[in-house]
Amino acid sequence: MNDRGNCRENPCPDEPGGGPWDEDPLEQELRQAAAVLDPVPDHLLQLAVDAYALHDLDARVAELTFDSLVDALPVRGATDTPRMLTFQAGELTVDVEVTGEGLTGQVLPPQPARIEVLGGPQPGTSLTADELGRFLTGTPPAGPFALRLHTGGEVVVTEWLRA
Amino acid sequence: MRAGTLPSAAYHDMPYPRGEVVDRADVGALVRSAVDGDAAAWKALVEGLSPLVWSVVRAHRLSDADGHEVYQTVWFRFAQHLGRIREPDKVGSWLASTARNECLKTLRSLSRLTVTDDPQLLDRVSEEGTPEQSLLDSEEAAAQSERIRRLWQEFEKLGDRCRQLLRVLIASPPPSYQEVSAALGIAVGSIGPLRQRCLRRLRARLDARGAT
Repeated sequence: MNDRGNCRENPCPDEPGGGPWDEDPLEQELRQAAAVLDPVPDHLLQLAVDAYALHDLDARVAELTFDSLVDALPVRGATDTPRMLTFQAGELTVDVEVTGEGLTGQVLPPQPARIEVLGGPQPGTSLTADELGRFLTGTPPAGPFALRLHTGGEVVVTEWLRA
Repeated sequence: MRAGTLPSAAYHDMPYPRGEVVDRADVGALVRSAVDGDAAAWKALVEGLSPLVWSVVRAHRLSDADGHEVYQTVWFRFAQHLGRIREPDKVGSWLASTARNECLKTLRSLSRLTVTDDPQLLDRVSEEGTPEQSLLDSEEAAAQSERIRRLWQEFEKLGDRCRQLLRVLIASPPPSYQEVSAALGIAVGSIGPLRQRCLRRLRARLDARGAT
């Protein structure tokens, strides 16, 4: 057994296998109740299985480095401020604003790019960023989204996020 | 006190038998296989760790729509980061803390934008049937089914802290304390005492209702 194993206690009890088996019978029954009454919905399980297609060793991941939801002070009196996101992969930056009309953004340093807007493992919709790296989608994302950018001979994908 | 502690034989066909889907000790190996292109390893990871991710979502009481999106986001991001996970043995904690962060973001955006129309979970429990429930439909299982339902109702009425903690602890297979800590942002050392306290509370509720 490795350092994690099934051990639930801290420190770990000495007897082998000690852990879940020392569990309160009430907790076991509750676990059964959860599995029966509140299981993972089947379609979600399938989506997660299908998500393997998003595993792409060749793409660089642009990490979320700024999210106005977390990092910005609330603007007093403003109830409808757009969500602002910044993704970074090395020297490449992607700024995105989420509004009711869709995503607007810019690739920096400014450069043209082909951008795929992904909503899941299935193929996304394509658009292009102009010479200044600016882009605009017609509709706001309906759920989790990521942008796959083809620029300067490489592929960069922004971290998956809920808009 | 091993297998004999299972209270009933009626649940041997549960969708996620405890401890059997993924031996957590093998998680690191599955991650490495998935990185190398083994789709079956990925599927085993999804099946073994989905209940944990789901429990974190449910512990935070998001609406169905929000919860489903958080769940998807977590798995999409995990697939995306698969080859870059620093500690493959600890992906359970990685998934749990990613789920927690997304849940907190969702709650934050809700509190900023609109009033949440959180559905009453109790209503759903009493109405919707899951496929698994058909297993319980035989007469001899009916009493047990009713007992489970009552247990769940009392569980749902626990205070937020207890309900949150227990919801994650009862994922299948049982999560490690490190994973619970990542899921809820509480210290590993406080989980044990709080867990006992919450179970005592639940037991008291059941006793009061005469359901034990």
